[in-house]
Amino acid sequence: MTDQVRTDRRRTHASWRQRFHDPISALIFLLPMLTLFILFRFLPVFGSVGLSFTNYKIGGSWDVIGAENYSRMFSDQVFLDSLWTTLLYAAIYVPMTVIVALATAMLLNSVLWGRAVFRGALFLPYVTSFVLAGLIWRWMYEIDGMINSILGWLGTGPVGFLQETSLVLPSLAVVSSWKGFGYSMLILFAGLKSIPTSYLEAARVDGANAWQRFRMIVLPLLRPVMFFVVVIETIAAFQVFDTIYVMTGGGPTRASYTLVYALYDQGFQFFDFGYAATLGVALFLIILVISLIQRRFLDRESDA
Amino acid sequence: MTATMTTAPESTTAPAGRAKGRRGNGQSWPLTALLAVVSLITVLPFFFMILLALTPSNAVGLPEQFPDSFTLDNITRMFQASGFVRWTTNTVIYSVVSVVIVLLTAAMAGYALSRKRFPGREALLWSFVATLMVPVQAMLIPYFVMISNMGGVDTYWGLIVPTLANAQAVFLMRQFIRDLPDELFDAAKVDGAPEWRVFFQVVLPLTKPILATLGIFVFLWHWNDFLWPLVIAQSDDMRTLTVGLASLRSANVSTPELMASAFISVVPCILVFFVLQRYLVNSITMTGMK
Repeated sequence: MTDQVRTDRRRTHASWRQRFHDPISALIFLLPMLTLFILFRFLPVFGSVGLSFTNYKIGGSWDVIGAENYSRMFSDQVFLDSLWTTLLYAAIYVPMTVIVALATAMLLNSVLWGRAVFRGALFLPYVTSFVLAGLIWRWMYEIDGMINSILGWLGTGPVGFLQETSLVLPSLAVVSSWKGFGYSMLILFAGLKSIPTSYLEAARVDGANAWQRFRMIVLPLLRPVMFFVVVIETIAAFQVFDTIYVMTGGGPTRASYTLVYALYDQGFQFFDFGYAATLGVALFLIILVISLIQRRFLDRESDA
Repeated sequence: MTATMTTAPESTTAPAGRAKGRRGNGQSWPLTALLAVVSLITVLPFFFMILLALTPSNAVGLPEQFPDSFTLDNITRMFQASGFVRWTTNTVIYSVVSVVIVLLTAAMAGYALSRKRFPGREALLWSFVATLMVPVQAMLIPYFVMISNMGGVDTYWGLIVPTLANAQAVFLMRQFIRDLPDELFDAAKVDGAPEWRVFFQVVLPLTKPILATLGIFVFLWHWNDFLWPLVIAQSDDMRTLTVGLASLRSANVSTPELMASAFISVVPCILVFFVLQRYLVNSITMTGMK
């Protein structure tokens, strides 16, 4: 809106000289980034789709094979399993991360003393790499590692966090949550701060207890922010790779073999670039659907 | 290199206000204690990492017992290992060069997209932003095919160049420059200052806050990036720290040495974080940038 007003105002002032001057200097200023985008964003998108219709192998020999890669994908048990594993992982990771982020955001919001220090501590893992997180937690998860030692003192364990098929996905999800929740926490914290105190005061005067205030006031007002956080964490869950590469290598017996891991394997273990590109297109479509759902819900939210 | 759709819902930051959800205006000590415990648990893995890094290789340390002596040997030994120094150098080059180029090109593009009028301006901006919906993992294969055909495997340019097209950077620069007061640009125009001077003497100095914020993010993205360096750096000499660290697991490296390397690799991130924490936190809460 303001953009439009400003543009209009400038148009009336614009002289003929400027009218030709602007596009040329704009092109010069845009050229470096535009070139980068054409080469490394626009072209690869088409390249990705194009490659998925070929059997491009390492060395550069290729034939167009039509939709063969796609029919192969739908009958490829390894791919279907990896999709299922990714969904399971997301089903564990997303609620875990959002709940931890919301709980810590609410704690931060209700504490004044030392708030900046606590916020810094909680956010700290976010600035590190997934590789680092994976290395530390792999050590903590070992059979004779830190967590099992603590369990030992408590008289239980040892637990094979990364060795048991039923535990490996939750264990990996904990690592990614630890590394990533700080970001969502800050978004939710900003959302909480924007809720007018007067609403909560009024509810308190009316006799609403803490749970009722949370249920009836905080949660509804936080809905758009919550939705945003759920979507970005879902997208993050579908992109998981680094921690798995470092901690399990997709194991045990492919129990943590996710979609991106399958893509990496097809490309850089089997050098089947055509098929790997097809998996990339599948990943893109899944994430696109999630993004579109986000857009829809957010639009509805702002219409209301 | 995390590309996600990020359009954070507007959240008007009301005055911080007094803490809510408890009686009176006093500090809620049980909640503070709980928050302290949660914060402590969050930083505990770092504490373990540092303890392990400082434990002598031949001594008994965690998890059996709290180490009774400390040493810097592991850290100095990693710095004497040529591979590790090389990985660190590569990572510094990868991050710093990327930050400089992204900031400069994004500022230029943001200036053109906000202060110049030309047909198709909005369409171009949104076509940049639309690329955020494509996850980098989906472009891994075309990137590799392209770069390897251009002879970019195991080169710095092959590592760096594909990661520079940064839509979030362009978008934020454009928003920021658009919202600057018109008068600043009008004055330069009246003076008849050449374009490059307007850019270097008006645009760049005025955009310092957003350049700082973006700089931190681009630095962290590149420093912590893993998948692209993993596939494009095939020789040991071209590895970045993340790829190098991941390769150490199978090699003959003791846990204290591994943790010492991990510790060294994270120091720059933690320094950046502590020095520029305010920029980082504010930008996340305001723009929803990832």
